[in-house]
Amino acid sequence: MEGMELICFELICNVGDARSSFIQAIGEAKNGNFQEAEKLIEAGEISFAKGHKVHGNLIQKEASGEHTDVSLLLVHAEDQLMSAEAFKILCTEFIDLYKSIKQICKSNAS
Amino acid sequence: MYNILLVCAAGMSTSMLVKKMERAADNQKLEVKIQAIPEAEVTKHSNEADIILLGPQVRFMKDKIQEKAGVTPVEVIDMASYGTMNGEKVLKSAIERIEG
Repeated sequence: MEGMELICFELICNVGDARSSFIQAIGEAKNGNFQEAEKLIEAGEISFAKGHKVHGNLIQKEASGEHTDVSLLLVHAEDQLMSAEAFKILCTEFIDLYKSIKQICKSNAS
Repeated sequence: MYNILLVCAAGMSTSMLVKKMERAADNQKLEVKIQAIPEAEVTKHSNEADIILLGPQVRFMKDKIQEKAGVTPVEVIDMASYGTMNGEKVLKSAIERIEG
């Protein structure tokens, strides 16, 4: 397997795993499991950081004048990276919202 | 004859894994049918499959896909094997699970 293909898969694998964790975190928060949600976000952030580092290395190479050939697979990998990044931001917002909803429901019930 | 389904969001990265798995099966003279499908088509294909494998990017759909798949086992592909496109390892663990 060629070097660039491997780099793309390392990227897809890590940011894809992160994206799954962020989406699962929203699901846990929906069910009121906020501790579990926090754990999933932490796990997602670790995977995201790994993927981000792979991408960062490519950007640094490009900046230092070493051009990377852009393939559809690399575009796909970057697409996954962006999706994971967006979900990371959104999932913390969603979790805050579910916390607020839970609190409102609690105070209405009492 | 083993029938293996690979599921990811678009089917792009898993279709590359399919090629690696087919090559591994050829080398071992194993008869397998391996297909990469998007998540939306799981119901259509799950009946004929012996196992459904998910990419890490759709790991969060495992419960939903298991519901659609009924008794067919649904497994998430190991991160290290996926990230290195290790078709041989993915094939081996899938067959072990089917035989399991």
